Amino acid sequence: MRYLIKRLAFLLFTLWLAVTLNFLIPRLMPGNPAQIMVQKLVGEGPVNPQLVRAVGIMLGLPRGTLWHQYGLYVYNLLHGNFGVSYTYFPYPVMTVIAQALPWTLILLGTTTIITFILGTALGALAASRRGTWFDTTATITANFTATFPFFWTALMALYVLGFVLHWFPQSGGYDAAMMPQWSATFVLSAVYHSVLPALVIVVTGTGGWLFGMRNNMIHVLGEDYVRLAMAKGLPRREIALAYGARNAILPNLTGFAMSLGTLVGGSILVETVFSYPGMGYLLFNAVGNSDYPLMQTIFLFITIGTLIANFVADILYGVLDPRTRRGGVSA
Amino acid sequence: MQRPVVSIEDVVVTYRSKRRHTALTSVQGMSLEIGAGEFVGLVGESGSGKSTLANAILRLLTGGGEVERGRISFNGQDLLALSEDALRAVRWQDIAVVLQSSMNALNPVATVRSQFRDVIRAHRRSSWSEQQVDAEISRLLSLVKIDPKYASAYPHELSGGMKQRVAIALALVLDPRLVIMDEPTTGLDVIIEHEILTDLRELQRERGFAVLLISHDLGTILEVADRVLVAYAGRIVEDRPAEALLNHPLHPYTRALLDCYADPGADQVRITYIPGQPPNMAALPPGCPFWPRCAEAEERCKQGRVPPPTVLESGGMAACHHAAAEVAAVDSARISGAVYVKSSTNPNVNREPVITVSDVSKTYHRERRPVVALRGVSLSLPRGTVTALVGGSGSGKSTLARLITGMERPDRGTIRFDGQDIPRLGRRGLHAYRQHVQMVFQDPFAALNPMNTVGYTLIRPFVNYGRMSSAEAFDRVRQLLEQVGLTPAEAFFGKHTGELSGGQAQRVVVAKALAADPDVLVADEPISMLDVSIRAGILRLLDDLRTQRGFTLLYITHDLLSARLLADQVIVLDRGEIVEQGLASDVIRSPQHEYTRLLLRSIPNPRRRMLPPKAQVSH
Amino acid sequence: MRAVVASLVSSFGLLWSNWRARLGLVMVGGFIVIAILAPWLAPYSPTSQAFGRMLPPSAAHLLGTTQLGQDVFSQLIWGARTSLLVGAAAGGLVTLIAIVIGLLSGFLQGWVDDVLMLLTNVALVIPGFPLMIVLSAYIPVHGVGVIIIVLSVTGWAWGARVLRSQMISLRSRDYVASAEFSGESVLRIVFREILPNMTSLIAASFMGAAMGAILGEAGLEFLGFGNPQVVSWGTMLYWAENSSALIAGQWAWIFAPGLALALLGVGIAFINFGIDIISNPKLEA
Ligand SMILES: Nc1ncnc2c1ncn2[C@@H]1O[C@H](COP(=O)(O)OP(=O)(O)OP(=O)(O)O)[C@@H](O)[C@H]1O
Ligand code: SF4
Ligand SMILES: [Mg+2]
Repeated sequence: MRYLIKRLAFLLFTLWLAVTLNFLIPRLMPGNPAQIMVQKLVGEGPVNPQLVRAVGIMLGLPRGTLWHQYGLYVYNLLHGNFGVSYTYFPYPVMTVIAQALPWTLILLGTTTIITFILGTALGALAASRRGTWFDTTATITANFTATFPFFWTALMALYVLGFVLHWFPQSGGYDAAMMPQWSATFVLSAVYHSVLPALVIVVTGTGGWLFGMRNNMIHVLGEDYVRLAMAKGLPRREIALAYGARNAILPNLTGFAMSLGTLVGGSILVETVFSYPGMGYLLFNAVGNSDYPLMQTIFLFITIGTLIANFVADILYGVLDPRTRRGGVSA
Repeated sequence: MQRPVVSIEDVVVTYRSKRRHTALTSVQGMSLEIGAGEFVGLVGESGSGKSTLANAILRLLTGGGEVERGRISFNGQDLLALSEDALRAVRWQDIAVVLQSSMNALNPVATVRSQFRDVIRAHRRSSWSEQQVDAEISRLLSLVKIDPKYASAYPHELSGGMKQRVAIALALVLDPRLVIMDEPTTGLDVIIEHEILTDLRELQRERGFAVLLISHDLGTILEVADRVLVAYAGRIVEDRPAEALLNHPLHPYTRALLDCYADPGADQVRITYIPGQPPNMAALPPGCPFWPRCAEAEERCKQGRVPPPTVLESGGMAACHHAAAEVAAVDSARISGAVYVKSSTNPNVNREPVITVSDVSKTYHRERRPVVALRGVSLSLPRGTVTALVGGSGSGKSTLARLITGMERPDRGTIRFDGQDIPRLGRRGLHAYRQHVQMVFQDPFAALNPMNTVGYTLIRPFVNYGRMSSAEAFDRVRQLLEQVGLTPAEAFFGKHTGELSGGQAQRVVVAKALAADPDVLVADEPISMLDVSIRAGILRLLDDLRTQRGFTLLYITHDLLSARLLADQVIVLDRGEIVEQGLASDVIRSPQHEYTRLLLRSIPNPRRRMLPPKAQVSH
Repeated sequence: MRAVVASLVSSFGLLWSNWRARLGLVMVGGFIVIAILAPWLAPYSPTSQAFGRMLPPSAAHLLGTTQLGQDVFSQLIWGARTSLLVGAAAGGLVTLIAIVIGLLSGFLQGWVDDVLMLLTNVALVIPGFPLMIVLSAYIPVHGVGVIIIVLSVTGWAWGARVLRSQMISLRSRDYVASAEFSGESVLRIVFREILPNMTSLIAASFMGAAMGAILGEAGLEFLGFGNPQVVSWGTMLYWAENSSALIAGQWAWIFAPGLALALLGVGIAFINFGIDIISNPKLEA
């Protein structure tokens, strides 16, 4: 319980911090981005006052104290009002994001889970078969794939599997001739388009988990309780799972934040290479077009998503490790 | 002997490291048999190969260890040749183990109950119903005196002693024929250790399983075992019934080990210690591995082969050239090493105190729960005397040491030295204070930085306190090394900690404390991590240095024998409070407080066998 | 200092004895040599536009030419400089920040530790790469220097956390207390007694940070958020992608810089593998 409250407090604190950071970055940066944007708008013809106002709230008003601006900013956030996108004018930022978010949530969500499970399982297997050809192959392969730059793997996959072999489409999240809708053909097309990006993320992202798990597991397999389990005459499988992997997975969860950060960064690159209609590609375009309100909001969403994922990992840790639970017999 | 349960013939075990290209043969041909229902003790110093042998029996060797030669059979089947599956059936069902340092032997993420259940399930005792299984677990826990409600606890909710008991209960769950126990009680409080062993012996008697009990402490072994094996440098040097070994030891090493014990309550306490260092397994001398330390070595011992075991008519064996002659000898009261005698004296403890502790209390907070470490403790250390602070684990001894040396501050109370109140000193004040009050730590290897050489370590206090240059300090360090018995000093200058033996490392630690030329030396269990055979040597060193240099010594220990040898004054601490205090000979010879008596009773004492031996094993 | 050097020398020996680490050292060493000797190794100037555009690989242009008629092979060789510079500089800065924060936090404990640890945990959960993108979008000047600074600001948290826990475990060792009894000053205790025992961990953090920085820089450059005029593996990929090199059949132009990045990464990972084994003998196969 105490553990849960602590993690929850940390989540709320980091959420607040992410919001504040998002508020402060454009205001503290050199060169006054708000000014730049307004000038840019002016230079392009008649200025829409609504747009100027939106830019002001997100990036910094010409008038008003910082506190006043902060209040206004938070108020707007709480009302889901993130201003208007410059690139996709007159759509509000929120609308633009609402279209991109599901794509990334699904792509990144599934690949995170797959890489975690796959990496952890392979790492555990490699550790319990230490020194065999499987172990050597797995670790050396992982050594390579984990250090491949995401975007390069993506480019190579695109070239070979898309361009040369035509097995998969080369860009987009769905067939360009279709409209997004809930129909079987559309969903199939979306799945088909996401195979390649997902594959790239899985191939590049699994290695990190594998190494983490393998090292932890080797450590755990040297513990006295594992030796005792062997002495007990338990079957190999049971020792590897209930004693080895069950304990080794805990420190692996502690490293979750790190690995997730890598995946999130990687997925931005992958989405960009595949022109995948998710948050990463959107961010890329927003930066390219100096669409600061959109960029800020995307960053905020990515951060919030990451924070929540980390919170879930923490909770999972709490469930798996009895030592974080209080009470029991001795209390 | 009855038909042996396990017989081990000439087993050789070598650890090989592929990366470092090293090979260390730590068991160099051991043979032994364990009869049904027999309680066998295996004693030896650290590194003598005890655990290696124990692990070899169930093929649990780690770290590249392999049985190179020999046969290990159980009930006639060769364990080393069994298939993995067949071996699994023998494990736990027939032979169970309690591992060295059982502290970590329970799966931290599983309840106690499930760690009983998985082994029951694995050996297909599934005809038992759930209730039967639970009832059996409760019964076993009660047997080792643990409240059955702890079945649903996780290991981190148990104390060290409880984990140890659970490990023992776990070993008995399938009614094995043999239980191997590797130092099942090291690290536990002496009183708890004594309790557990007493209970174990009773259990074993009731249920009739055989035990191989491994310990570095001959006293412990002799108290409980029917038969004793003594290991030295990877070999068994003596194997005899306990009574016979106690009354008429044949091997000089056994004799020397026995002489390390004495009754602390005697009028005159005399112990002996074995000179030299425990053997270096990587570089054993030719001939008998014990000869460099043996008082009876002759020319033939120093060359050729290791002395072969002499099998005795009366049963048992000893591996010494003199063994046969020794059997005939009536009197074995021979001096086996350097002697350390302490007679009852009446030291003057009424001198003016150097340090006065008044009404000191300290409470720690562990996971938001308060743990009272010290409660209103007052004492004084008279100048130039030795005070022994005695107590079980958790009694607050080390806390008091940390308070006195200024490593921590008390919640309440004062500690006076030279007109100053130590807890109020700032960083600067403490720096100056430490020149006068120095500390000897329990684990010498932890107290020496593995990155530094002996020379560097010893020069620093001279440079810091004596304001000397390194060159000036050099000479002083040489003197100091010689004073603590590390000669020739030059040989030790450039050594790193890893290249020292335990005894040598502890001497370096003592030397380092003395380099500051302190008025007070606080020694926190300075010998408890060392091998029995060299403990007395360190005690002797402390005593001699104190006489030469006249410092005041606060000696912290759980061991009343060493307190008796060293101390003028004894203070007994129990759960943070002083329960008894007085002249060493008075307190130890006629203890007033129940706790002191309990401590005294718990000291392993080979000459007081715990139980009359079971009907003598006939041969 | 002598002890540090001695421990470094002996660790190097141990590293060298592991085949993976040896291979890694050779690989990274090879890249360093290439970077240093770039002016002599590269057949042409990496920025010279004197050649035909989009030429396929040939004897004259081993990897072909770019859309501006630059020699890809020469760019590849010069690009090593940028990556190694970023790796060393950002890796070094990150490690420095991590050491300062980790050591302070671990040694002082109390409220300083609480605050620094909170900061570290926050920095750890805030996704680094998006933050880098946002920061570099606002900073008006683009270039390797800015990227190094951005990478350092966003990358230190993991190292700080690892070093802190090591610090906490080391500072409670008896030999630290023992050094206090020898009259050593706090600084000397930290730098002379504790730090030498952390060398392998620091080396590992440095390697990890350098690798992260190299990949991060390449990623930013690839997206065009660096200075596209600088010759680096990241910008090479940026230009290649922007001129549809793959579709034009200029696969070597894309393949080579990516492979170089991957090989440098693998080299570093192999070294780290060896360091891991030194600091944790159980991993020895
Ligand atoms: N896993 C291992 N890897 C390498 N060498 C080992 C290993 N275990 C033990 N040894 C070596 O084998 C020798 C005997 O060790 P062993 O643990 O059997 O001694 P022991 O008598 O049980 O000592 P202790 O009283 O300290 O438990 C020692 O020199 C030790 O260094
Ligand atoms: S053989 Fe010689 S050296 Fe060895 S124990 Fe016997 S007397 Fe001593
Ligand atoms: Mg042992």
